[in-house]
Amino acid sequence: MEITIAALAKAFREAGYITDEEVVITVYLALRLEKPLLLEGAPGVGKTELAKVLAAVFNTELIRLQCYEGLDENKALYEWNYQRQLLKIQIAKETACLEDMEQDLFSRQYLLERPLLKAIQADRKVVLLIDEVDKTDEEFEAFLFEVLSDFQVSVPELGTLSARHIPIVVLTSNNERELSDGLKRRCVYLYLDYPTVEREIAIIRSRLPEAGERLAAEVARAVALVRSEQEIKKKPSIAETLDWTRSLLALDKDRLSKSAVDQTLTLLLKNKADLDVFQKKIGAARLEEYVPAEKAHGT
Amino acid sequence: MVPEYLENSIVRFIHLLRRLGVRIGSGEVLDALAALTLLDLSERETVRVALKATLVKRPGERAVFDKAFDVFFAPPEERERQQETYEQKKDADREILAQAGRELSFQGTPLALSDSEKRIFAGLPEKDRQNLLEFIKKTEEGKKVEQNFRPVLEKVIKGSLVYRRQGQGLLTPSEEPARDGQEMEALVEAVGAGTVDGSPGLMQEDMRAISERDLPQARELIRKLARQLADRITRRYRRSKKRQRLDLRRTIRYNMRHGGTLFLLRYRSRRKQKPQLLLFCDVSGSMARYVGFVLQFIYGLHSVVGGIESFVFSEKLARVTPYFRSGEDFSTVMPEMINRSGEWGRGTNLAVALRGLIQDYAHVLSGDTHMIIVSDTKTLALFEAARELAQLKRKVKEVVWLNTLPRQEWERAQSVDIFRKIVRMYSCNTISDLEKVMRGKIFS
Repeated sequence: MEITIAALAKAFREAGYITDEEVVITVYLALRLEKPLLLEGAPGVGKTELAKVLAAVFNTELIRLQCYEGLDENKALYEWNYQRQLLKIQIAKETACLEDMEQDLFSRQYLLERPLLKAIQADRKVVLLIDEVDKTDEEFEAFLFEVLSDFQVSVPELGTLSARHIPIVVLTSNNERELSDGLKRRCVYLYLDYPTVEREIAIIRSRLPEAGERLAAEVARAVALVRSEQEIKKKPSIAETLDWTRSLLALDKDRLSKSAVDQTLTLLLKNKADLDVFQKKIGAARLEEYVPAEKAHGT
Repeated sequence: MVPEYLENSIVRFIHLLRRLGVRIGSGEVLDALAALTLLDLSERETVRVALKATLVKRPGERAVFDKAFDVFFAPPEERERQQETYEQKKDADREILAQAGRELSFQGTPLALSDSEKRIFAGLPEKDRQNLLEFIKKTEEGKKVEQNFRPVLEKVIKGSLVYRRQGQGLLTPSEEPARDGQEMEALVEAVGAGTVDGSPGLMQEDMRAISERDLPQARELIRKLARQLADRITRRYRRSKKRQRLDLRRTIRYNMRHGGTLFLLRYRSRRKQKPQLLLFCDVSGSMARYVGFVLQFIYGLHSVVGGIESFVFSEKLARVTPYFRSGEDFSTVMPEMINRSGEWGRGTNLAVALRGLIQDYAHVLSGDTHMIIVSDTKTLALFEAARELAQLKRKVKEVVWLNTLPRQEWERAQSVDIFRKIVRMYSCNTISDLEKVMRGKIFS
């Protein structure tokens, strides 16, 4: 696919990823400049989904590195297959020449490629998703931006391995801690916010066409109201909006009513404190009053 | 290639962003220019997105970027209007300073006051201004008052201006901007200084001046900060030669050189014990406006990290940990705590409070304890408090003082000088300060 803004926008639409021009242009720039794309935003706004869509758009493999506390190079880059090496040593103890065996033990067949090396060594351009990078340690982050600036890694026993094709790198962060300037400098940056009511209606309609226009509009307006409540700690994600809509559909509801909200709210808000805040500050009755579809067009 | 005139313009725009507090490295400037070569430059919104994606890497900077973009790339007539507004403001400011200079004179000669002091004077209510002028006049008319009385009078007037500013919760008026190009100053003025965050101005606003309307947003910011600090505190793993979990993979790898015989073990241990946090918060009268925020912060920490000990003090000490552990909503916890502890809004006696902590709560003071004191340093029995603090410092790992007294007042406060010699002290009267402290390495 030739990379142009229009072609990307079309491909996103076709892949069912409803988004705005800012996202398309930023992704376009990251692709053309061959720079990692750093996505920040609250959980559930579609950061990981964007990487998956990119893999679908370019019809390529998605290699995912899920970050967590304590992640180190061994799990991110490469590791020697120790068990296999030990077996080899045991088998060849009596027979093999020591020098040959050492060379043999550190050859490619004993190398376990982890996501970063796998992405660099892939024989086509892949999408490398480094998910929730804010969960790693700062030391790992420093290591990461070295890899991402040169797209090559050094394995002492094998030498330097350079990328055959520079992968499309997408990093996501929930912004729980600020990433280092060094990492940010190397990336094209995009902050993803919750969708507007109009966009969320479009998302619901695209994913769940069986939800009528009215239900989609009422759900989107209701979710926007819930998200606007400062005291709700875990704001509903887009996936939760869809789950909520599905549950309403399963109960044969074609509009939001107080009873429907009461029956299904736990699919939208998933901890007691947030449910309490909802009841205290918003309430199912107010929601029913607030969301009628005829008002939705005015938003 | 980006045309030279545009390159020039972009570099000036970046200069403006930096002036507004956006952190931009030279690599990012090159990225921005490279990005522009890939786009249709006649599309204003496309250019905006491209510059934003390459130059702005923190969510809090987005609002200021948008504003700066609108101002900088405004149509020429709009730019002219901005320049005019700026000139008018400058003229008005000059007039204010001249007028204050004329009014604040002693025996016909103007008093030696700084511009910022003159601005404070000009900003005072009419009644307060008249009172000050009356005071100068009476001093002039006193018996045997000569020119050598001037320094004394100047000192009194300066002190009075600072006092009145504090009394009204006024922020320090901005100093005259540096003169590095009138046009750039006009642009900075038009965008509005101090807006680098998600909510313009709130981060830099003195916490006691935050209005009721902005409270929910301020609380939300504080909650996020508490969450970030909690995250730092709970990060645990790092490879180490010391104790605890065996790192099997590294052990095998390391021992390959010994033919696979595992005789040197490698461990993955906890980075360190989670620090035992002890929060020690001043809730006396002078701290009234800060306490709500500070407690919100403590509450945020408690909801994520266990094992924090919290105390409030004014004349005496009260342990408030149980209120925070109850799992109740903050709006429920706060009134209950105020009603029960009885320490709210009194005078401050840090010495008594510290002594109480050492004597009655010795079990919470250990070599792993990190103590955070939140106070404006104003206390009775200053020297005694300093002695107690020094003694306490020996019993814990470290003591960090978050001082809510605005930084510019530190020099004048003897208490700050004394306590600073004993413990590390950070300015903490705005949410932005709190963020800086959290981003810093106080617990690493």
